[in-house]
Amino acid sequence: MGYNPEKPMEGRISDIGPRYYEEFHPPVIKANKGKWLWHEITQPGVLMHKSETGDEVYTVRVGCARLISIEYIREVCDIADKHCDGYLRFTTRNNIEFMVDSKDKVQPLLDTLASYGNSYPVGGTGAGVTNIVHTQGWVHCHTPATDASGVVKAVMDELFEYFVTMSLPAQVRIALACCLNMCGAVHASDIAILGIHRKPPMIDHSRITGVCEIPLAIAACPTGAIKPAKTEVDGKEIKTVKVNNSRCMFCGNCYTMCPAMPLADPDGDGIAILVGGKISNARTMPSFSKMVIPWLPNTPPRWPEVVGAVKKIVETYAADAKKYERVGDWAERIGWEKFFEKCEIPFTDKSIDDYRLAYDTWRTSTQFKYTNAIK
Amino acid sequence: MPTIEHNASSFEVDEDGFLLKGDDFNQDWVQYVQSVEGIPELTDEHKKVIDALQEYYKKNGIAPMVRILSKTTGFPLKRIYELFPSGPGKGACKMAGLPKPTGCV
Repeated sequence: MGYNPEKPMEGRISDIGPRYYEEFHPPVIKANKGKWLWHEITQPGVLMHKSETGDEVYTVRVGCARLISIEYIREVCDIADKHCDGYLRFTTRNNIEFMVDSKDKVQPLLDTLASYGNSYPVGGTGAGVTNIVHTQGWVHCHTPATDASGVVKAVMDELFEYFVTMSLPAQVRIALACCLNMCGAVHASDIAILGIHRKPPMIDHSRITGVCEIPLAIAACPTGAIKPAKTEVDGKEIKTVKVNNSRCMFCGNCYTMCPAMPLADPDGDGIAILVGGKISNARTMPSFSKMVIPWLPNTPPRWPEVVGAVKKIVETYAADAKKYERVGDWAERIGWEKFFEKCEIPFTDKSIDDYRLAYDTWRTSTQFKYTNAIK
Repeated sequence: MPTIEHNASSFEVDEDGFLLKGDDFNQDWVQYVQSVEGIPELTDEHKKVIDALQEYYKKNGIAPMVRILSKTTGFPLKRIYELFPSGPGKGACKMAGLPKPTGCV
């Protein structure tokens, strides 16, 4: 029965949830669920899991642009039909994994993937750079300060060798969010790329009364920069808001709540780089990423400044960190002043925390190393 | 932005069909939204929800939280969905002439 707009509730199915995941398990996964003994990475992008029943499953991980067409998904399905009995999965970083149940089937699968040119790069395992967790950007969102897909493509092109090899001290997780809502993982990634604004919102007094719940806009401000105000529009007094520009730090929360307070600006907007976050509990506790580069310009389509900054951090880390050290572990060990020096990042006042609980981030010690990072 | 004519009134609305000026609200608007939201018949319960929303908005400048709407009207969320299939935001607030809900919705 087709949908009848005259009777929208008729025949309506709801609250059925997602399909049960076991319906889509490849037979070898289903048979060995909960019985895995050990695994190894046989080559970059290929994993082998051994079961106590003796079964083996080989997983081939390929990079994916995350934003993909149905034609692409059909192509992926064709590959899965040809080699994996129609089964496949996506990882939590939006890579695709094809699984086969014997070693002989791996090479034909790799050959098929290679036959598509660069569409299905095999990699993303072990101590390398895997896929970049990212957001919507200019493709779909209304609050971004930068693009997502474009920057991610530019960065992954430059770091591609790290995707297909495992040459780093530990895995490097890169994430991007196009505004500081931080959808995704930027607040806890080894390297985070974050869209930021640098100008306060513009207030559209003529629209604000109709489209905004003004108390929400006021309450949205983390620094208390927004106050209720009255102004005259077409000779009529209306309720509006006033922004104390010297208290505004351009977070854009008020625009999220109130469409009459836009703040995107092509010259003001850009990208901040954060480093040193992680989410695993391995060796050290999970940590937040810290801001090291306050602003780089938006320079579509290739964002050379951002790409250069990320590459410099990865290369310095790769050359200097010890095995198993994540970027944050490395920076903590050598000291952040040395991190700035080695990565040749000029330290600015913008990196000094000044938000509420800032005190704990300052140095209450005489322990430091002389550095040339502060110019 | 489009203008909608219904009966004798005309309304300025945004692309999701919310009133751009709350002052334009009248009974024609309620009937118009009823027709687009697929509500077969307007009952006193619909009226009670709309009145509660408008009263709260007039007093506080914001739409009430869902729990407050349930408490003041006495309708559990399930009942509100039965009255307004699109829910309290897209259905009831639209019909009451309140601004479109914002945030990550």
